[in-house]
Formats: sequence, structure tokens, C-alpha cells
Amino acid sequence: MTHADSAPGIDFEALTLKDALDLAVLIEEEARDRYEELAAQLLLHHNRDAARFFTRMVRVEELHRAALVEKREKLFGRQKPAVGRELLFEVEAPEYDAVRADMTERQALSTALQSERKAYRFFSSALEHVQHRDVKTLFTELCAEELEHIRLVQGELARLPEPGPLEATDVSDDPAPQ
Amino acid sequence: MGCGSLEASDFKSDLKPIWCPGCGDFGVLQALYRALAAVGRPPHEIAFISGIGCSSRIPGYTTAYGFNTVHGRALPIAQGVKLANPDLLVVVAGGDGDGFSIGGGHVAHAVRRNLDLTYLVMDNQVYGLTKGQLSPTSLKGLETVTSPLGSLEDPINPLLYVLAYGAGFVAQATPADMPGMAALIEEAIRYPGFSFVNIQSPCVTFGEEEQQLRAHKAKLKPLAKLHHDPSNPLAALDLARAYGRELYTGVFYRNPAPPQPYDALVRLRQAEQSKLATPRAQLLDTWLADGRGKR
Ligand SMILES: Cc1ncc(C[n+]2csc(CCOP(=O)(O)OP(=O)(O)O)c2C)c(N)n1
Ligand code: SF4
Ligand SMILES: [Mg+2]
Repeated sequence: MTHADSAPGIDFEALTLKDALDLAVLIEEEARDRYEELAAQLLLHHNRDAARFFTRMVRVEELHRAALVEKREKLFGRQKPAVGRELLFEVEAPEYDAVRADMTERQALSTALQSERKAYRFFSSALEHVQHRDVKTLFTELCAEELEHIRLVQGELARLPEPGPLEATDVSDDPAPQ
Repeated sequence: MGCGSLEASDFKSDLKPIWCPGCGDFGVLQALYRALAAVGRPPHEIAFISGIGCSSRIPGYTTAYGFNTVHGRALPIAQGVKLANPDLLVVVAGGDGDGFSIGGGHVAHAVRRNLDLTYLVMDNQVYGLTKGQLSPTSLKGLETVTSPLGSLEDPINPLLYVLAYGAGFVAQATPADMPGMAALIEEAIRYPGFSFVNIQSPCVTFGEEEQQLRAHKAKLKPLAKLHHDPSNPLAALDLARAYGRELYTGVFYRNPAPPQPYDALVRLRQAEQSKLATPRAQLLDTWLADGRGKR
């Protein structure tokens, strides 16, 4: 997924710093809301381990969002945003298909890892098109942040105990159809 | 919430979907919220009608009016709703089993009657709710609890079915292309007449590997990229024949000159008839003047 797939309605060449910051805020907001939804789905199916990890991701994404909001307000005060959530499709938010009722904590972490990679690809492919210098700087910073997140999740994954010969997914029942 | 500034979240109800995590219907619901926000009609001007099945739960997850009716009967009930209140935007949602097995007979009549409805079928090629039995769109050879040695039947082709009965708008979508799906649902809703979107919405619990999103992403072919002309009904029929083999997404057919939908014709006829009708206050006098009151 590149910027063109997940934000087909945005003209990156014309993007201003204010719009770029608003976009970055919305990307974090979309990811936060999606992790919240996924955590709720998994709790409903009594998968506490994966739900707990996704709830942690809700807090992480909210922290990123708040930091970006602060930056935006410092530069542009309370000026009305010109971009909306309708322009974004799962930039950093995991796709719905990325979860299963019986997924393990390791699989939940892998889902987050893939999402961080997706966000990195988004900003790096968009960078090739942005024209404004300050937007380039912002997207370069965001790329670096995403790389840092990728490293953090990879580190966490490495600390998890090696999966045994039988994973929970090997022995679980199908979820009750709803 | 004001008209003209609706957001997808305005259509999201407090009820949390209880589908299996990973179900394709989550993506469909998300795209639907977006499409409704883009169309811009507030929730109280919209009615969702569904049958029974996992996918038929959709009305409960929106803030619009909703009726989760009986298995296979969503279309007749939706037509009744539209006729009773033509100002409502009516969206019908359901599964492949609901629409093309038990409710299959209603589809032809809904198409030929051409009320201004949008019919979204979440085609997962299986009966999800009842735990994975063969459905009318299951591919030949599929092994399920009701076909342990593999199905011997060819599937119904939903695209050909509705095209053959003359539907004015026929499209196919998949959650593997979320922007495309949201845009298609919006276009279907805006079409003035019966519109149909077959949504390949994977069942992650009972569906086959080659029907999951990963496979969709690898094989989907947007019709726009194939330079298909959606005003050409014969080309649409030809492409629709590939259902089950190719995953074409986009508009197969859009009638470039949509006729007046049935609900509009009914309104016109009612207006004409009411011009000829006798006002209630004069009914008795007219009756007596006709001499019909004499013994
Ligand atoms: C009259 C009647 N017959 C049978 C059923 C059992 N039943 C409930 S849902 C369903 C099929 C659901 O399949 P589909 O319409 O494809 O929806 P999905 O669950 O796959 O979304 C059946 C057979 C019923 N509820 N009512
Ligand atoms: S059984 Fe299949 S269609 Fe039903 S909720 Fe689960 S994944 Fe979705
Ligand atoms: Mg089905």
C-alpha cells in the first residue's frame, strides 16, 4: 500500500504544512480508533491477551496524535482543518482482516508491526511527491518515527517466548458465527 | 449533526458488531458509513432492510432506521417501505444465501419493478450464520458440512442474474479495495432506480483460502483499468460471465438513461387519480346527484 492506495483523494504535490499536519493527526486518530475496535472485538471473543496488546496500542497512537496536535496548534492555532477522515483509508490502522478470534499475542504484535511498516511506506512514497520544503521535513521526521516504532515492536516480538509446537490457534474452536 | 456536514461516525450506532474478528463485513460496514456520509442524507431519512444471516445484522450497526426482517424477505419488505414512504432512502443488505437461495425468487421482481432501492449482497459463498453450509454461490467442488465429498452443483452467478433481468446499475466490490468499495456503494445509492452491488466479503471462519482478502488483493481487476464502458450492456454481460473465475471490481453496467423508477411512477399516478377524485365533503351530494342514493 502506498500513499496513492490509502489516500487516493489527496494531491500531495499541493499539500501545505497545515494540511500535512492535520493529515498526520487524522492518520493517528484512525489507527487509535481501529485498535480500539479490534480490542473490543477480541474481548467479545474472550481473547484477553491480544485485546490487552491492542488496548496498549490505543494509548500509543493517542500519544502520537496528541503530540502532533500540539505541534499543529503551536503553528496554526485553532484554524479550521481543510482535510477530513474521509480522505484516508487504513494508512496506519490495521485492516479488519488482520485479526482472528483466536490470534496469539505474537500475532497481534505482528499485526501492529505490519501496520507500522504500512505507515512508513505511506510517508516514504508520499515524500517523492511533496513539493513544500516544510512538508518534506515533516514527512521525513514521520518516516523516522515510523522506523523507530518498527524497531520497538520488533524488539518486543523478540522478547516474547518462542512459540511452542502447538499454538492456541492449533487447538481452538471456530468462533461462534454471529 | 447538520445536513451537508455529515461524517461517517454519524452513521455508526452504539451497538458493537459481534461478527468473527477478521470478517469481511467489518470493511463493508466501514465503507457503507463513508458512502452514506458522502451522499449526505441524515440517518432519519434512511432505512436499512435486511434478511437473516451474519451480513443481515448491518441495520443494527447504523443509526438509520432498520428492520432485520425474515430470511429471504428483505426485498419485498424494502419495496413496501419505499412505497409507503418514497422519501426514504432505502438500502437492502444481506447474504448470498438470503438473496439467492431462499429469497432468489424476489430478486427478479425487485429488478423488473425498479423501485429506487440499493441492494448490497455480501457474497461470501457460504452460509456463515448457520456454520458453513453450501450456499447458492459456493463454487463447484466445495467441501462443506452439507457437501462433505464436494459440491456437484455450479454456483448461481449473481451478476448475470440481475443483469439478465434488466437492472440499471450492477457493480462488484471487495473490502480488499476500501476506497473503491466506498465509492461504488455511494454511486449505487445515487443511481435513481434499482441498483445492485455484489460485495465479495470473505467469511474468515468458514470461507476458503482463495476467497480471503489476501487472494482478492492478488487477483482483483478494476474494470476501469480494463477500459470497460459501463454503458454497454453486452460488454457487461460478457464480463459478468467470468464470476467465480475472475474478480472484476467496479461498475459492470449503468443505464445511461435511467427510466423513472416505479415509486416515482406510482406517485405520478396517485397525483393523476387524485385530480379525478371527488372531494370528501362532496361525496354524498355527488352520490345523490348520480341517482345512486334512490331506492
Ligand atoms: C425460513 C428460514 N430458513 C432457514 C433459516 C436458517 N438460516 C439462517 S441464516 C441462513 C443462511 C445465511 O447465509 P447468508 O444469507 O449467505 O448470510 P451470511 O451468514 O453468510 O452472511 C439460514 C439458512 C432461517 N433463519 N429462516
Ligand atoms: S461466520 Fe463468517 S460471515 Fe459470519 S461473522 Fe463469522 S466470518 Fe463473518
Ligand atoms: Mg453467505
